[in-house]
Amino acid sequence: MIDSILLVDDEDLFHLVFEDACSLLDISLSLNALNSSDEAAKLFQKWFQDGNNNDKPECVFVDLNIIGSSFDGIELIRKINFEYGNHVVVGIISSSNEPEEQAKAVQAGAQFWIIKSDDIEPRLEEFRKDYEGYKNRTLPFKVYK
Amino acid sequence: MITIDSNTKKTLMDLYTKKGIGLEGNITKLIDTENDEEFKKYLKECETKDGDKRRKRLEMTKKIQKQNEELINLNAENQKIMDDLQSTLKGAEEQRVRIEVQNGELIDWREENEKIQQDLQREMINSERARIQAEEAKTNAINDLDILQKRNQTELISNIVKVALYIIIGVGIVTTGVYVFTLVMGKDTQVISATWSNIFGILLTNAFSIVGTIMGIKYATENKQ
Repeated sequence: MIDSILLVDDEDLFHLVFEDACSLLDISLSLNALNSSDEAAKLFQKWFQDGNNNDKPECVFVDLNIIGSSFDGIELIRKINFEYGNHVVVGIISSSNEPEEQAKAVQAGAQFWIIKSDDIEPRLEEFRKDYEGYKNRTLPFKVYK
Repeated sequence: MITIDSNTKKTLMDLYTKKGIGLEGNITKLIDTENDEEFKKYLKECETKDGDKRRKRLEMTKKIQKQNEELINLNAENQKIMDDLQSTLKGAEEQRVRIEVQNGELIDWREENEKIQQDLQREMINSERARIQAEEAKTNAINDLDILQKRNQTELISNIVKVALYIIIGVGIVTTGVYVFTLVMGKDTQVISATWSNIFGILLTNAFSIVGTIMGIKYATENKQ
């Protein structure tokens, strides 16, 4: 089970869906959700500057296009990986399935890409099984369709 | 893991039995049951109840999410229709302006045409007047010519009559002179008297014949015109 998850997504309704799905699938004990990539970047910057990794989530799910933010999910992942220390499992959760965007995400250091849809539970279940691989950084980038 | 003392466990279980209020959320996964079968059963029931609630909420949120998506799609479709409508309206407005401009041009053109038509009518009236004047001038000219011709004819006739009368008078005077001289001189007048009488008769006849012919011609010319 993942200790703590941070979801960055502009859609509040999806926060509820994701939280309930994670709880039902026993994926995580703790889940925090943010609406903007700016807020998330500020938190990671703070954790990086303070050197305090206790509050840091174990895994981060980022939406691709976050309305109301000054940069998209791929840029947030790049910042998390290259500016604020690379100590979390991080990937994209989006309804988009564009190979070009996925290639950009890989370059930014994303480890997975989960396609959002009505039936998200099977993908999260599969992700849960693969999680240890991401944590150990032994599993390559994977798209959950 | 969290450990709970027996009194708290009992209170929690009583609360669940009497009022149906149980622990919810992931906290149930963090509590150590310490092999207390009754509390384990309680936690299991709480987890099941929480799971049912979450499942129900998940279905509801998914349904709402789907409806939201449909609404967004419908909104996008509506927006597209609105855009098309606005585009059509804009086109119609442009068409209206173009027609108005064309109408303006047509009105100008019609006014110009009316002006030209009025000028034309004026010119036609002037032309008609000119024609009438020309006809009058022609008539006058014809009349003048006729008068001139008549005058010429009259003059000619007058000249002919004059000459003829002069000849007749001259011949009469000469013949009469010769006859008188013969009488005065006492010579034989037999031949001269017969000649005088014949010549006088011939002259008078010719004179009347000339006058008659001239009058006849004059009368015939007048009738012909």
